[in-house]
This record gives sequence, structure tokens and C-alpha cells, in this order.
Amino acid sequence: MTVAAGIGYALIALGPSLSLFVAVISKKPFLILTVLSSTLLWLISLIVLSGIWRAFLPLKSTTWWPFALLIISSVGFQEGLRVLFWKVYKRLEDTLDAFADRVGKPRLFLTDKMQIALAGGLGHGVAHAVFFCLSLLTPAFGPATFYVDRCPQMPFFLISAIIALAFVTIHTFSMVIAFNGYAEGNTTDQYFVPVVHLVAGMVVKSASA
Amino acid sequence: MAQNQRPASILDTLGEEIVRIITPVSICMLMVVILVSILSLDDSSSSSAMPTIATIAYSETGSDSSWDKFMGALLNSLVFVAVVTAVTFILVLLFYLRCTKFLKIYLGFSAFVVLAFMGGEIALFLFEKFSFPIDCVTFLVILYNFAVVGVLAVFISKMAILVTQAYLVVIGMLVAYWFTLLPEWTTWVLLVAMALYDLAAVLLPVGPLRLLVELAISRDEDIPALVYEARPVAHHDSGSRDGVVRRRVWSERRNVLHDSGGDVNSNAILSGNAGSNLNSGVVLSVASGHNDTRLAGAEEGRVVEANAELSAPLIDRRMNDNMHRQEEDDTSENLLLEGIGLGSTGAIKLGLGDFIFYSVLVGRAAMYDFMTVYACYLAIVAGLGVTLMLLAFYQKALPALPVSIMLGVLFYLLTRLLLEVFVVQCSMNLVMF
Repeated sequence: MTVAAGIGYALIALGPSLSLFVAVISKKPFLILTVLSSTLLWLISLIVLSGIWRAFLPLKSTTWWPFALLIISSVGFQEGLRVLFWKVYKRLEDTLDAFADRVGKPRLFLTDKMQIALAGGLGHGVAHAVFFCLSLLTPAFGPATFYVDRCPQMPFFLISAIIALAFVTIHTFSMVIAFNGYAEGNTTDQYFVPVVHLVAGMVVKSASA
Repeated sequence: MAQNQRPASILDTLGEEIVRIITPVSICMLMVVILVSILSLDDSSSSSAMPTIATIAYSETGSDSSWDKFMGALLNSLVFVAVVTAVTFILVLLFYLRCTKFLKIYLGFSAFVVLAFMGGEIALFLFEKFSFPIDCVTFLVILYNFAVVGVLAVFISKMAILVTQAYLVVIGMLVAYWFTLLPEWTTWVLLVAMALYDLAAVLLPVGPLRLLVELAISRDEDIPALVYEARPVAHHDSGSRDGVVRRRVWSERRNVLHDSGGDVNSNAILSGNAGSNLNSGVVLSVASGHNDTRLAGAEEGRVVEANAELSAPLIDRRMNDNMHRQEEDDTSENLLLEGIGLGSTGAIKLGLGDFIFYSVLVGRAAMYDFMTVYACYLAIVAGLGVTLMLLAFYQKALPALPVSIMLGVLFYLLTRLLLEVFVVQCSMNLVMF
């Protein structure tokens, strides 16, 4: 609608992650690097997915099952990536511990590990918000707005920003939960995360269909 | 809180040098993106109006076919790279003949030109856009002061380091903005050509930059160049001699992240309307008396500390209040060990040409859409990280352009062709994952 509204939408989607970044992550440079690398990884996964699905686009918006297939495949791919991320993290943890031993500093504390997981999750969340919400916001800086069919009082950008905010939260904390689950071998936690991810994706789709 | 009683874990300080170099690069890119999006002009009007060295062979018009555009862009870039190579060889010659004073003066002059003329023009664009009321005299006075302080900041090493860093970032931003005004195909092919040139110039034995670096090392002098130096990391290690243990000096060779850093000829694109007839000079500057660069490897961790110190011992300009006494112990110990050069915490140095070309890439991506901006930004930062790791591994001057530019161009193409359609489709239908 205006520059103010545009900035408002951007902050709705990214505000909490910004405060999280400033409060927790900006103090430790290693976490900043973790955020950047996990964002990059998420972007690469998204590019691979779009490469695979490019041939089938544009999807007809009337039938629902192509979208369901899209969501299931994407969520599956990303969860697989999370397991990969976990394996890389294990190796990183060993390297860091060895380094700490040589330098004479204490090994990684539990809070350190959780902070790394948080940074990884935040990276994913920020990437999601940026690519799914912020990149569409350019028209929102102009003079008009666009309302959704099903709910004519709400502008499209606001809905997209709120959903992006929800997904940022999901991504951020599911990484922490997942890493904790993998570390302790807690299967409930391990399955909790992909299920929540999938359900969220499906519910959002079905609500807007 | 419990946190205060626990000893600091390694997570607190690891990776700090890398972040200290990524931050100014990101700031420069961000400012260029903002400038580009505020001042976005339509392609047809201004791009053909500027005769520059980079468009001397061919000026792109909207109606040519893709193949023509590509060939024209290729010609332009070849001309540009040829000019840059010639100028770099002249620079090597001058350095060989010990004309350092001339180079320094030329450097200060070009910094002044960039800040005053290019900065002034961009300020005028901004005033026009926002209808900002300001009169000529005030503007001239402010601009003049701004430019002079900038020249001093670049010349004199006693200036507050934050001011020097800020001015270097501003210079990079101004030059990068002017580069984005080139026609589209020319810009992309030029970026790739410069990346390849950089690779050749630094790694080939006959490359001018490599000759320059080796001359400087053999003479133990500093190359006058515009180089951004990150603030060195102060180690707050308590008690034990951790600070000293970490700084095992590896070699005395220069490990500057060398690139077409000094050679980016801002003057090459100084067009007629800038009023000066410099032909593609090389922008050089004194990097406040930097001399030797050593890589200190910390055990496995390989913390990269490219160090640069003057051959005058005992004077460590980088000492600031934060430095622990460990540093001085370390310095004297290294003096005893080495004799030449100093040990003290060094910092990673990145040539200004890198700033400029990264920002040009991101600025060009911004002219298309913001999604490409994010993708290219991440690619460039990843490339920079990879280059830094290679620097730690190979311990010699490395070109910083190729990896980042190649990754950036690759991600730009992938995003533009594949990702955008996918993501727009998904978000329009509110399919999120």
C-alpha cells in the first residue's frame, strides 16, 4: 500500500527472527556463519526442488492433488536434508571439541549445541520468509493492495506475512527439537518434526484452496 | 546468572575474523542495492548516453538480437580486460622503478575524484528524486569536505580505523553503482571476464598481480593499493598463554587476498560528464604502511590471520586498548624469533576491487528482482567463505573474485530461470513449506 505498509509486512514476517538474531546470534560470530550456511543450504534445496518441478508448472489451481504432491515431495526432501544437516553437524561437533581440547577451553556445552541448532533453524526460517514472503512484497510498496478471494477484507500480503511468520517459528524450533531428538535417540521427537512440517503445509494449502 | 561463572567456550570467538570481513562486504552490497532500487532508471534512456571504456566497442540497444548483444558484450569485456591488463603492467613497471611517490599521489587523486565527482553526481540524483532543498554553496562546501576527509582517511594511517573503513566502503559503493549503469549483457560478461582475468593475473607466473606481489615481498615494501583491512581480533584470553600458543607463524609470505583489488580502475568508467580525462588509471592507495603478511595457523583450527606489519619493529599500529598484554609478549617473542616483520594480531585484507565487483553483481541482480538479490548475496558470501578457507589452506595470495562471481552468476541464472517461477506459483496459491 505504501512504503510504511510494505515495511510493516516485512517486519511481521521477520520481526521475531530479527530480535532473535540481535539478541542471541549476533554475539557469537560462529552462529552468524551457521545462519548463513543453513540459509544457503535451504536455498539450494529449493532450487533443486524447483528444478525438478519446473516441467510441471504452471499447475492448474482447480484440482488439489498436484499441490498435495508438491507439498509432500518438498517436505520429504527438506526433512531428508535435515538428517544430512545433522550428520554434518555431528562431524562439526567432533572437530570443535577436538579444537577446544587443544586450545585448552571447555568443550561445547549443551546450551552451545542448542544455540547452534537454533541458528541452523533460524537460517531455514529466514530463507523461507525471504523467498516466500519478502520477494513478493515489491508491489506492496506501491499505492495499491490486493485482496484475497476467500476473505475480501484481508490483503494478500498480510496473509502471506502471517503465514511466513508461522513457518519461521516452525523452522526455527523444529531444528532444535530435531537435533535434540537425534542426539538423545528420542524417536517421538524425531518424528514430531516432519509430521508437524507436513501437517502445517497441508493445512495451509487446504485452508486456502 | 550461571553464564557468568562459566568459562567462555570456544563458540564465543570462533569465526570472528570471517564475520569481520563479511560485515563490510554485506553493508556495501546492501547500500548498492538500496541505491539501485531508489534510483532505478529505465534502461533505454541513460545507458546509451554514457560513452565509457567499457562500452567503447559496442553500445547495446534494446532492439538487437540476443546473439548480437552477447557478441557485443564480449567485445566490450575484452577491450576492458585488455585495458586493465595494460594498466596493471604499467603499475608493475612503475613499482619496479620505485616510483612509489607518484603512485601514492595518483591514488589520493583518484580517491578524491571518486568521492567528489561520482559521489556528487549520485547526491544530485538523490536530491532530484526526493526534491531535497539545498543550495549550491552549502552542497559544494559539504562535498569538498567530505572528499578531502576521504582522501586523508585513505592516505594517513593514524586516522580512526572506523573512518578509514567507512570511507573505503563508500568508495566501493560509489564505483559499484556507476558500474551498474552499464548495459545488462555487458555487465554480466564483464563480471565473468574480470573473474577469469583475476584468476590468471594472480596465479599464472607471468600474471601482473603475481609479479607485483613477489616484487613487494622481495623488497619488503608495501604495495600502494586500496585495500580494506578488517579490524584485527583482540583475544581476551584469560590467564594462560593461549594467545601466544595460537599464533604459530607459518610463513612470511604475503597472504593478502589479492585480486584485481588495486586495479579496479574507477577511472576506466569515468565518462565525459565526470569532466576528467583520465584514461583508465589504476586506483591505488597506500595501505597504511602494510608490509608483510603472515599466516598464523592455530593448530587444526587454522584461524586465518593474515598479518600485515611494517618493517619498523616495536611499532605496532594496530595496538588498541582492547589488546591484552599477551599481545605485547607475543610481539616481543616473535621479534626474537623472526627479526623481520612483526607478530601481532593481523587481520584479513580484501582488495577494494572485490567489494566493487561483488556489489556490481548484486546491484545488477537487484535490477531484476529481489529474489535474485538474496540468492546472489548468499552465493557471494559462500564464495567468500570458500576463498578464505582456501587462503588458510594454501597460504599465499589468492584471487578473491573467481569463486564468488562464478557462484553468483550461477545462482542468478538458476534463480531467474527455475526458482522464480516455482516460488511465485507456490506463494500465489499460498502453498508453503
